[in-house]
Amino acid sequence: MGLSSVTTVNEATKFCIFDLRRGQHEGQELDKILFFFPADLPFPTQLSVIGLSEGLITFTRIFSPEAACEVIEAERHSHVFYEAEPDIWMVMIVEKNKELEAIWRIDALRRVLKEVHSLFVMFHGSIRALLDKEPSGGLIRSHLYSFIMDYLSDFLVGKKLQLPNFRDSLKERGTVQMLTVGREAAIEVQSLVRVLESCAGNSPCYSLVLFRDLLVSTTLCPDDTINLFTYAVLRLTPRVLSSGASSWSYLRKGNTASHAATGSLLATSASVLDQFYASRETFPGGDGNYHIVRPLQHDKWTKGKDGFLVTDIWSAEVGSLVPTTPTIWLQQTEERMHLCAYQHRNLTLVLLIPVTSILNGEQGVSLVKQQLLENASLKMLRVEEKLSKGWGGENAYHVSGYRYLLVDGDRNVSRASPPGKVTTLTKESLVALSKLREEVDREKNRANWDGPGHEKELEVCIRAKNNAWVIAQVTRGKELYMVLEKANETLLYASDAIEKFSNRYCNGVFSLD
Amino acid sequence: MLGKASSSQPGVGFSGSGALSHVYIQYPPLRCSIPGSRGLFYDDGNKLLLLLTSNQVFSWKTVPFAPVVAPTSDSIKKLDTLLVRGAGQRLESILGFFWTDCPTCDIIFVKTSGLDLFSYNSDLKSLHLVETKKFNVSWYVYTHESRLVLLASGMQCKNFTGYQISSAGIIRLPKFDMAMAKSEANSKPVLAAEDIHIVTVYGRIYCLQIDRVAMLLHLYRFYRDAVVQQGSLPIYSSKIAVSVVDNVLLVHQVDAKVVILYDIFADSRAPISAPLPLLFRGFPRVNISSSQLSSKDGESSEAKDLSETEAIIYGDDWIFLVPDLICDVSNGLLWKVHLDLEAISASSSEVSSVLEFLQRRKLEANKAKQLCLAIVRTVILERRPVSMVSRAIDVLVTSYSYSIKTGSYFKGMKAEKTSPSGVPRVSSHGNVVDESTSRVDAFGKSVTHEAAGGMDNESINRSTFSASDSDDNASFEPQKSNSHNLHSLGGKIDTQNLMGAETSSAEVHPSALQSQLLGLGNNPLNANVSEQQESQVTSAAISPDEMYSSVFAIVEEEMTGDSSYLVAIIVEFLRSTNVEKIKVHPNLYVLTIQLLARGERYAEVGLFIINKILEPSKEVALQLLESGRQNFQTRKLGLDMLRQLSLHHDYVLLLVQDGYYLGALRYARKNKVNSVRPSLFLEAAYASNDSQHLAAVLRFFSDFIPDFKNTTDHNTYCRILAEMNSSIAV
Repeated sequence: MGLSSVTTVNEATKFCIFDLRRGQHEGQELDKILFFFPADLPFPTQLSVIGLSEGLITFTRIFSPEAACEVIEAERHSHVFYEAEPDIWMVMIVEKNKELEAIWRIDALRRVLKEVHSLFVMFHGSIRALLDKEPSGGLIRSHLYSFIMDYLSDFLVGKKLQLPNFRDSLKERGTVQMLTVGREAAIEVQSLVRVLESCAGNSPCYSLVLFRDLLVSTTLCPDDTINLFTYAVLRLTPRVLSSGASSWSYLRKGNTASHAATGSLLATSASVLDQFYASRETFPGGDGNYHIVRPLQHDKWTKGKDGFLVTDIWSAEVGSLVPTTPTIWLQQTEERMHLCAYQHRNLTLVLLIPVTSILNGEQGVSLVKQQLLENASLKMLRVEEKLSKGWGGENAYHVSGYRYLLVDGDRNVSRASPPGKVTTLTKESLVALSKLREEVDREKNRANWDGPGHEKELEVCIRAKNNAWVIAQVTRGKELYMVLEKANETLLYASDAIEKFSNRYCNGVFSLD
Repeated sequence: MLGKASSSQPGVGFSGSGALSHVYIQYPPLRCSIPGSRGLFYDDGNKLLLLLTSNQVFSWKTVPFAPVVAPTSDSIKKLDTLLVRGAGQRLESILGFFWTDCPTCDIIFVKTSGLDLFSYNSDLKSLHLVETKKFNVSWYVYTHESRLVLLASGMQCKNFTGYQISSAGIIRLPKFDMAMAKSEANSKPVLAAEDIHIVTVYGRIYCLQIDRVAMLLHLYRFYRDAVVQQGSLPIYSSKIAVSVVDNVLLVHQVDAKVVILYDIFADSRAPISAPLPLLFRGFPRVNISSSQLSSKDGESSEAKDLSETEAIIYGDDWIFLVPDLICDVSNGLLWKVHLDLEAISASSSEVSSVLEFLQRRKLEANKAKQLCLAIVRTVILERRPVSMVSRAIDVLVTSYSYSIKTGSYFKGMKAEKTSPSGVPRVSSHGNVVDESTSRVDAFGKSVTHEAAGGMDNESINRSTFSASDSDDNASFEPQKSNSHNLHSLGGKIDTQNLMGAETSSAEVHPSALQSQLLGLGNNPLNANVSEQQESQVTSAAISPDEMYSSVFAIVEEEMTGDSSYLVAIIVEFLRSTNVEKIKVHPNLYVLTIQLLARGERYAEVGLFIINKILEPSKEVALQLLESGRQNFQTRKLGLDMLRQLSLHHDYVLLLVQDGYYLGALRYARKNKVNSVRPSLFLEAAYASNDSQHLAAVLRFFSDFIPDFKNTTDHNTYCRILAEMNSSIAV
């Protein structure tokens, strides 16, 4: 069963990571490959995929050394390129198929690549660093393999990888969704944040506060915020913890069979990988005996009695039953931090403590935790209560008549119509929106090449075939996408609708003149 | 540590004594010795010290307490006859009498058989019996301050009947007994009049009863319909005296020569601090140079022969007068008891309770306020735990909010403007501001209000404030002060005395009025913060503006290193003000942004702005733009805020600066902004090197500005446009 399913996946999607600095000599080409999905694809096929990509990168670099190839649109496939680190490329190949809903927006796919890489770096450090640590490549391969397979398992629907397609046009990966709070609650939250900050004495701590799956506060820089927020929503929030073993991702809510399927997929792939590496004697030390931490493993986090979230992912110190506190790397400060997560009902706190500030390991961490409980528990109760009181429910940010996505590119924040409401849109509307977004992405990219400070301003209102209005508006770093179905046919109506929405929900940012 | 902080604060003349003491009397005393004196009397209704000679009555005003006040003198014939006629016809012995402002009667005689209430006819100069209340009386206690007379009866003199006789009428208190511990089985102690003290604190009336056997001072509080014992205080001396200074209860342990302070505001009956001696402060050497310029002539020479006896603390001849005076009868000296707020605040490490105590002080409100500010600055500079500083801030904010609600804060501001006129000696008001003027009067009246209306704490204070308000006015308006005297007791004791009082007050008025005018001229109606601090303050409450200028701004300059601590404190302050719905000065928001930006914490700046923790204002917007030089997201927040505040001109200008000249034009047209020069737009368009855009901008101005085509801008840029187009064509 497992194998056949993997084979079907094979045909639809391929995903590889390779290092242009490796395998430059004939006969050593395999050295380049750091990751390939599906892993059981024969090497010649893998090499041909990578060879094509490498060729295109080399070719396009002649004209554009800074930003080489971004995408190849073939007749039946799209190749999406992402240079994750200098000379380390991630390429995703998806099959185009209109009947099978395989209508892609390239930027959305690239954001998947970007996301998995960012998360990887957060937990393991950069790929290059791991390569430098062990030039043979065994270390990085094992890490990438388990990490990416864990990551991809979130996209499994049944036996198929379901990557973001046109149906996700009113979503923006790599952004943060925020809870709107009143001033009083916001001050309470900040009051709590200050206490959290002071828990580890004088060392600079960072914190992230979430309510349900929404961000309430962060003291991290935007990039680190996105990474940690993404991880928290994937693995830490109450929704994820309570959903338990049956369905651990909202993408597959209600799909009880998926877990078993993934398990078999992983098992199969893993065994294939093992065979693959076992058969290769060119990898010295590639005996698979690496101690690999798998932060994206499912169902590994649980809430402890003291309210702190615990996991054995990072295993335990030798001779200790206490699980090791996770550590992550901050992108901004390049500092290694202990990650402590605390949960009270719908409130999740993530506290990051510099590893260097804690001298006696786990003991030191538990001391900080104790401090946190002593100083902040009352405030946490109060904040949770306040936020719960103001919580408008799953459809809190629904605006009737509108299906929208609002992106604040400066702050990497987005807000959209709730998924349940988006599903009411027809396929035509969504496809039209996907295409429109593709156009906007292109314009934005072009503006980026002109350098910073040249932000694009544009407004597009399209009357789709099904008579829906599909609207995109970009103003000074903020983007608004909208679908209005069953709306009046005049353009005036559409622009009026934008104006109303803008004045009401965006402080008039998108108001036309 | 508190002392250190406060002494570093300029402008507050704390003359730190150095000695361990919380209460002091200040040299020089009021000298009330006249040759041929037959006795000193104190009229607590008028706050006059009266001295009787064979043919004259000398009187000194004790409020405001001024050591050099000259006595006024009167002949005493009429008073004599009045007293004889009033008392002559009766058989029972008269224990005493007192005047009242009750509407139905004017003078009350207390006899062994009860009370006789008389009305006084000023034309006939005669008394008419209005009412008699019959019961046995062993002795009685009365204070004008409380308008309360307590009548003792019974074997042990511990059964009490009480009346409050005030302008609101006569209220009879329920009968009650006082607790007396038994020493031995047979001997029952008898309560004496000197064992009972009526005190008024915070507008509430209490009775203190000394129980010598138990060595306790029992505390009774009077309500309209009940007398409730509210705890007991230990005593360490067989002789006990009681003073009230600024609502603080001073229990003098006379034998032990120490005084214990209690702040009977909350339920706690714990003393404010350990028993310490009463300090004698300002011995001549120190004094001459200081402030008493007007007192110099006679006093300085006299000071030298200040005898040893004068400096004896708790001498045998000391008589404690209500509420805060001490009369040294043998030497003819009158001392006023003062609190040393600085010493009290320095003696406790419980910051929030010290602040609460200081916030309740009215007499030296400005000193209390400066002490509070110094304390808060110190705890922040010492980086005490945020939770602790937060509690301290809560105290101040709550107190301010309360003072706003009761109007005392604004009243204080109003009083400031007129304050110079409240102090008779205008020449010296710069250094010695006698705060007692309005306060004591205020309590005289407020008590009446309290007893008449319910016992609700808030209403008491409100009536207190309103009463003192009117008294303030009375003190410098001739007509009013006149009528004030007529209604009060003083005018009725002796009409000639009244005349005397009037003339003496008339002397004061010209200068008072003058200074009042001056004061008004100097301080415009909306007096700003700095001026407030200079002048007299009647409430220690600290406004958010003062918190900014006297705490955060100062602390920020002195603090080094990580700014996150100060941000945490500011957040706590904002939380506190938000709870009390008090507006915060935009400068504090500006400071917050500066602090966060200094630590490059732009993500938090964003959160603070978007969640409106820092409320929008032009100041905030401009600071965002300033801090946004390093972070364009922050700059955008500033721009957005300008737009939201409808500061169109600034918004358009900045849009152009940022190169969004087309958007700026559209915005300018929509919001009718015509104050930005066209050349700015044209320059921006030219700088973008886009001939289409330049043409569009030119066209815009040609269409919408009537005479634009005749301007040099138009000509210049038309030529430039032509050049651009031709170069493209080539």
